[in-house]
Amino acid sequence: MSTLQYSSVGASKRINLIPTLVLFVGAAYCILPVLWILIASTKSKSELFNTAAYLPSFNGGLWENLTGLFAYRDGIFLRWAGNSVIYAVGGGLLSTVIAASAGYALAKYSFRGSKLTFRLIVAGVLLPSIMLAIPQYLLLAQFGLTNSYFSVLLPLVVSPFAIYLCKIYAESSVPDEIMEAARIDGGSEFRIFVSVGLRMMTPALVTVFLLQFIGIWNNFLLPFIMLSDDKLYPLTLGLYGMLRVSGGQAALYSLVITGALVSIIPVVALFLSLQRYWRIDMLSGGVKS
Amino acid sequence: MTTATEKPSTVLDSDRRTSNRLLPPKRKKLRSSALPVFLVMPAVVLMAIITVAPAIYAFVLSFMGRKVTGGLLGGGTQEIFVGLNNYVAALTDSEFWASITRMLTVAVVGVPATLILATVFALCLDAKRARLTGFTRIAIFIPYAVPGVVASLLWGFLYMPATSPIGGGVIDYFGSTTIFFSVANIAVWGVVGFNMIILYTAIRGLPAELYDAAQLDGASELQIALKIKLPLIRPALVMCGLFSVLGALQLFNEPTTLRPLANAITSSWVPLMKVYSDAFVTNNIYQGAASALLLVALTVGATVVVNAVGRRLGKANK
Amino acid sequence: MKRRALLSVAASLGASLAVGTLISGCSTNSPSSSGGSSGPVDLTFVSWDPHMDSIVNIWNAANPDIHVSLVVPSQGADELVTKFITQNKAGANPDIVKVEYQSLPALISNSVVVDIGGYVPDIASKFDASALAQVKFEEKIYGVPQDFAPLVFFYRKDVLDSLGLKVPTSWDEYAQVARAVNAANPKQFLGTFSGGDPGWFAGLSQQAGANWWSTKDGTWTVAVNDKASTKVADYWEGLVKEGVIKRDPFWSTQWSAEMNDGTLVGWISAAWAPAQLPNIAADTAGKWAAAPLPAWKAGDATTGIWGGAAMAVTTNSKHPEQSAKFLDWLNTSEEALAAQIKTINIYPAATKGRSLPELDKPPVFMSNQPDYYKMIGQIAPSARSFDIWGPNATLTFGAYRDGFSTALQNGTSLSAALTSMQKTTVDDMTKLGFTLSK
Repeated sequence: MSTLQYSSVGASKRINLIPTLVLFVGAAYCILPVLWILIASTKSKSELFNTAAYLPSFNGGLWENLTGLFAYRDGIFLRWAGNSVIYAVGGGLLSTVIAASAGYALAKYSFRGSKLTFRLIVAGVLLPSIMLAIPQYLLLAQFGLTNSYFSVLLPLVVSPFAIYLCKIYAESSVPDEIMEAARIDGGSEFRIFVSVGLRMMTPALVTVFLLQFIGIWNNFLLPFIMLSDDKLYPLTLGLYGMLRVSGGQAALYSLVITGALVSIIPVVALFLSLQRYWRIDMLSGGVKS
Repeated sequence: MTTATEKPSTVLDSDRRTSNRLLPPKRKKLRSSALPVFLVMPAVVLMAIITVAPAIYAFVLSFMGRKVTGGLLGGGTQEIFVGLNNYVAALTDSEFWASITRMLTVAVVGVPATLILATVFALCLDAKRARLTGFTRIAIFIPYAVPGVVASLLWGFLYMPATSPIGGGVIDYFGSTTIFFSVANIAVWGVVGFNMIILYTAIRGLPAELYDAAQLDGASELQIALKIKLPLIRPALVMCGLFSVLGALQLFNEPTTLRPLANAITSSWVPLMKVYSDAFVTNNIYQGAASALLLVALTVGATVVVNAVGRRLGKANK
Repeated sequence: MKRRALLSVAASLGASLAVGTLISGCSTNSPSSSGGSSGPVDLTFVSWDPHMDSIVNIWNAANPDIHVSLVVPSQGADELVTKFITQNKAGANPDIVKVEYQSLPALISNSVVVDIGGYVPDIASKFDASALAQVKFEEKIYGVPQDFAPLVFFYRKDVLDSLGLKVPTSWDEYAQVARAVNAANPKQFLGTFSGGDPGWFAGLSQQAGANWWSTKDGTWTVAVNDKASTKVADYWEGLVKEGVIKRDPFWSTQWSAEMNDGTLVGWISAAWAPAQLPNIAADTAGKWAAAPLPAWKAGDATTGIWGGAAMAVTTNSKHPEQSAKFLDWLNTSEEALAAQIKTINIYPAATKGRSLPELDKPPVFMSNQPDYYKMIGQIAPSARSFDIWGPNATLTFGAYRDGFSTALQNGTSLSAALTSMQKTTVDDMTKLGFTLSK
């Protein structure tokens, strides 16, 4: 026994080489392209295609690109960034509120149609609504509602998956006893929802919000179909437009690369800063067995 | 295979299991109150608007067509009822099936790669005495925060001979065969971290006592990983598999962004692009509506199959 | 009967579901302006030209009563066409749209744009016949031509000079020069065949005498794979297979990089190219020269047209008269044309525009060729287009992109791709109910 003890103590000081190496290779695979974009953004237009790919440039290219990016078409890049924030924060918050209330109601109450509703929501999870983006466009176009903030936000404000997550979480983390106690204290059902339900569901709500936020921030197809006025574009669409040529217009590569870099930074920052609150285990929580 | 944009999805059977496990057998739910209906209402109404109504409208459109009414340029057009013509046209269009085949090819490369890499990374993270796991975990997760369009743009530059640091001058990343790997790679890159985290959390949730006994029996770490951990995270793996398959069906951003770079990618390269191109490029919204509904049917079918396979595998294991 | 009833119930159900809840909560930015004829009107104008805003500003400063707001789209011009058609029924289209010549018939056929002849009666006199033919159908004028874009051959003068090669004047010579360039340096090419630019290939076919669409007494003739076009396709297929011409699509990042680093030393393009080259090949400024397109028969000056666009007023516009006035100013007044030449580098379609002093100076990128515009002016009269663009030309163009890209990728026959373009076009026109001759 004592030898076993000894060897395990000794072992704990050693690095377990193979898994560590595997993870490093994986990290390199995931990080190097991002690093490349960081390096490429330091290069001026003429350096981009002419200098070694993995060597940054220090000739003021980054500054030139950044000023060029923010000056492009009177600062429309900032507007795109603002639009992305409107879509992602607005859509994220709305869908979280809607999912929280629906999930809570489905978890804690049984009412006429609740089972059917839940089944429909599960069906909704399995049918990504992006498949219906074109029909959504065609329908909205009948009412002249396309090409507006509304047309991009509407299809995003209800997420069956978010409702599903909220329901699972509410079932396991909002105890009936506490709700019962609150009722005895004379709290109305709505007050119980706000003060007990929502409070206890907070970690789930943060996670749902983050998932929605990133889903919307990264969304491309929906705004691509819905919008034709570039003042309404989110970043993804704006960058794609800059890359793509319209009517025989050459793309602005160094600006696109810099724009891509600038557009990833806030999301990565948000994730890293909210890492503590973000409970991804919720996702697998539903499938632990 | 999911584009970085979409949310993961879920597994039906696990849900049932969870509710059975987590809830007391006698559900004592509450008496009449208007609140639950009021709380559920926005979700139900909005879902009706964004999925049911467009689906109904698309269904109607899919039976219609456009006909010109004389004059050199048509002089005006009218909508006519064409029965199943649009469906027949879609189903007999070799491009429609070709787009499905290409999507499946990407999926055959990408889905297993995503699952295997994510599993390997998750097991390594959980391995004893692996170092710097905090850093590598975040590093592998970061691409998830990169929009699919940006990721494709980024990889496009990495593939392109003129800027490629990874041998684009020698290897043609946009060749007729390599293009499938190139597209799959972008998708895998975007979601492997997300899947890894899900699997890792599932592993962390396993009771530690399970390994202690095995360790005393002299099982190596590799054996523990493969024989104990892996089978136990099967439900999470099935879920990841389902996400990935659903993601493959929604493939759009990556090939669309790469298209200006590569002759090999056509306007109807994958099904969603085909739907887009039917509606917007060939300017036939009726055909587009029919293809969209066929794609929806395909998605539902695929989900049912993945679930059934997952369940069968589960039974076989027990 | 029953099925139709069912359908209409379903439609109204879908519609009322949507309307009932949508209308209440939201206000959309309806592009076309509302309000009566009195007071200032606000017009929306969709155009993708860079720097168009500065020209719109000139108008706005001088016309406080008719304010124009510019909307810059980033979609491809083809996708915009479909969007205009889809939005037409809901009345959500902007007042004025820029549209490539080949797409105008599709907009007319779907009643998206209106005849403006009545609002600006003298417009026809301001253009020559070939420019007017692009917007005039059945005696009605559906738009104002903006620019005119004859095909021109651009080449790296420094490279050809150093190799002692003469500028090719015939396609045979072009092939010889292409071989010589590639033989001198296997990494250098005289050009690329683009599977992504149907308008470019259409222009090359026009030069060879092709006539993809023509009409007689209301009957259409479609001949995408006619002899002339097949000859062009075979010619380029030969050069590509020989390996002396590349096959990277124009506008791709790869192509830009090759234009910039000297891999590509030639570009068959159109009059507007000098406006684009600074973005494509900035490092090579001053090294290029332009020459007339090589000819099929020695001494034949015929050239084709690549691109060019008109501007049209939509059916949805509540102020068609004011819109037409703005377009008249924008594309036929000396003031606006001079500004367009200077800032957008267009070669104007309007007759008056072609003698403006602004054309005495070459575009900045071509500063080493002072008579650039003079040369364009000489080429322009011998540029020919098809008799008419078909009502589904965008579909034909889409078929080109898919068919030619795939053929280039797989090394299969380009003329077979032409045949399938022909079939796609004919099938669609038949389905739509047009009368076709066979």
